Amino acid sequence: MFSYLIRRILIAVPLLLGVVFIVIASFDLVPGDPAALILGEFATESAVAELRAELGLDRPLLVRYADTVVNLLQGDLGRSLTERRPVAVILGETFPLTAQLAGAAIALVLLVGIPLGLIAAMRPGSWIDNVIRVVSLAGLSMPVFWTGLVFMVIFSVNLGITPVSGTGTWRHLILPSVTLALPSIAVIARMTRSTVLEVLREDFIRTARAKGISERSVLVKHMLRNAMIPIVTVLGLQLGQMLGGAVLTETVFAWPGVGRLTVFAIFNRDYPLMQGVVMVLAMVYVGVNLLVDLSYGLFDPRVRYA
Amino acid sequence: MRHVRSVLAVLTVLALLAGVGLAQKTLTIARPTDPVSLDPHFETTAPGSWVFSQILEPLITVNQDMEIEGRLATDWEFIDDTRLRFTLRQGVTFSDGTPFDAEAVKYTWDRAWDEERPGRWKSLAGPVEGVEIVDDYTVDLVAAQPYGPLLLTATMPYTGIVSPTAAEELGDDFGRQPVGTGPFTFVEWRANDRITLEANDDYWGGRPNLDRVVFRTIPEEGARMLSLRAGEVDMVLMPTPSDLPALESDPNFVVEGAPGVGVFYLAFNLDRDAVADVRVRQAVAHAIDRELIVEAILEGGGVLATSVIGEPVFGYKDMELLERYPYDPERARELLEEAGYARGSDGFMVDENGDRLVLELLPSNGRSLKDREIAETLQEFLRQAGIDVEMDIFEWATTFELMRGATLDYDLNSFTWFTTTADADYTMYSNYVSTELPPASWNRWRYANDDVDEWLKAARASLDMDEREELYHRVQDQLAHDLPAIPLYGSYEVAALRANVEGFVAHPIQYLLDLHPVDIVD
Repeated sequence: MFSYLIRRILIAVPLLLGVVFIVIASFDLVPGDPAALILGEFATESAVAELRAELGLDRPLLVRYADTVVNLLQGDLGRSLTERRPVAVILGETFPLTAQLAGAAIALVLLVGIPLGLIAAMRPGSWIDNVIRVVSLAGLSMPVFWTGLVFMVIFSVNLGITPVSGTGTWRHLILPSVTLALPSIAVIARMTRSTVLEVLREDFIRTARAKGISERSVLVKHMLRNAMIPIVTVLGLQLGQMLGGAVLTETVFAWPGVGRLTVFAIFNRDYPLMQGVVMVLAMVYVGVNLLVDLSYGLFDPRVRYA
Repeated sequence: MRHVRSVLAVLTVLALLAGVGLAQKTLTIARPTDPVSLDPHFETTAPGSWVFSQILEPLITVNQDMEIEGRLATDWEFIDDTRLRFTLRQGVTFSDGTPFDAEAVKYTWDRAWDEERPGRWKSLAGPVEGVEIVDDYTVDLVAAQPYGPLLLTATMPYTGIVSPTAAEELGDDFGRQPVGTGPFTFVEWRANDRITLEANDDYWGGRPNLDRVVFRTIPEEGARMLSLRAGEVDMVLMPTPSDLPALESDPNFVVEGAPGVGVFYLAFNLDRDAVADVRVRQAVAHAIDRELIVEAILEGGGVLATSVIGEPVFGYKDMELLERYPYDPERARELLEEAGYARGSDGFMVDENGDRLVLELLPSNGRSLKDREIAETLQEFLRQAGIDVEMDIFEWATTFELMRGATLDYDLNSFTWFTTTADADYTMYSNYVSTELPPASWNRWRYANDDVDEWLKAARASLDMDEREELYHRVQDQLAHDLPAIPLYGSYEVAALRANVEGFVAHPIQYLLDLHPVDIVD
């Protein structure tokens, strides 16, 4: 198990280096000069050329890549071209906020999505199943910026119980986390329902029931554990997406997280910042997938890590 | 009894303290983007200036009526045609305790003129060479050659005087916590979330009425306006135009606006054969209903442009475009016929080979209010006059790079230009002198007219404001005929406020925000 962990972490290193190369190379292909953008509409050509040299943008791609790798190995993520601050500091400010939002949202997904799916699966075709199916379809179909604004009008402007946007207190977290969780709740509820229905039709459930095991035990020990594997896989993907920055939710609720940072970095052609964001994103996905893989062992004892 | 008394005394003090706490006047302002820095050395856009101009003050400034007012200078005069002398305000200290004097002024200008790392605003200062110290409280601003706009150059908020002590100590970090002499001092910056300033108790002009100012970043338009309605913010900069009528009729809100110094225009590239003929350009002008664009698309977010520079700008003259080129698609077709085109069977104009007249458009996208919608409308207007338009819509970074390129493979482009110094020279010289070509400068229409060159050079070199004004008027008359660009709408600087905010007057120059007299009343 331990050597498995080490191996998975080591595999992540070349992956991250590859990701950095793709980022640097793709920026080379994209039109738009960061120096010109930083200097604004009224800059002279020579000022732009000077800034390009200062930022090292006049050097060849491979030289820049080699430099970046050397710096990364020393734990240096570089400085943002636009903000002129270390990328690590900027990420240190934004990532915790995104983690807060993602954490709250994924908790909602677990607490609401899975129970809804279970309830629906227990009585397929009943009125409650139909209600849950319609509601989750609606949750999936409503665009985030629309639900976000509707929530603001209802809860902030009319009822005055939550702040409209921004960060600061736990109250600030309510609307954005619910908005962010809604589509995921819908996905997980539908996923849970279909998986549970499938598992319930399996032979071993019939066998368990035939053995006279209590229904509760059948459901919790036999059904739920087997159903959890696909659910956890999807949950992991959702969490990865949320940690990567929920651009729309963060924009609507003025939540200064990784999502908005990504958009800022792209629009300003801020290479080092973009690299930092992508690195964090890659690490998050590696980490979340590792956790998901490890959790399989928890639900299914047949899974072995070697 | 004595105990009771002391308890009462303590309670009274506590109550007073609480009272003071409650009476804290905080003005919360919502705007769409965070600055990238609070150091004018690195940041010359409005979101930066709104904040740093509360902290850093220039020697002189222009007020809302476009009159020059002293800030850190009490007096100023030209001592010859390249030298402007300032008498500095005495007894002023920076908020870190450093005394303000001629050294600080020189330090600030030298900093921007640094060879290794010139300030972003250096290129806006024309032929200025720098500051010379005369004595502790007298400095000369010196230009390499006679430079008419020199006085207005010194009003740019980027020239705000920085504390030399703080700038030396903090280096790059000065941009995260600037120190100046202004009415407010820096408290905290939470990136992309909020910037907090507090009143400078020792401000030479008197402590501001507000105790704190909080600039919040709320990128989404709808959320910004809802924050105002919910009372979470007191002022919204760049509010949604379509929301303004509802706010104006609501007694809880006030809308303050002023015609600005920006002009959005449709520009021609005279290097391209299709639009090299002035009759084609005039036909395009006749084909566009500019009034309809302003009314239906901008909904009060802009005003009909009457010249290539805004009305508050020095040297402005009404180009009488509505009279010269009224909306008349039939007249447009006639002009195109004069230019050698014929009416084709499908409604489009065709050249002598029977090929359709097609103009390629590179529109501003994501930079100015409703620029994309305007581009689509222009396309439809031109099609109705028989001119087909093909357009390439890119995100702003790409569009901007194409626009400032040495060659431009488009017949038309659209763009907003702000006359940042409020002096016509700033726009006219870089845009219309025949040698000021991209990428070094901004004559993107490749306009060349010997008379205009001569007038603009004379206007730049003259210190006689009447003479300069007359020269700029002549240029505008010429441009009204030659039409290298068709001005569409002028910027309208507008803020939406809660009705209990008093003393705020919108400024024609977008990046100037005067919060010193602003107060919140109950």
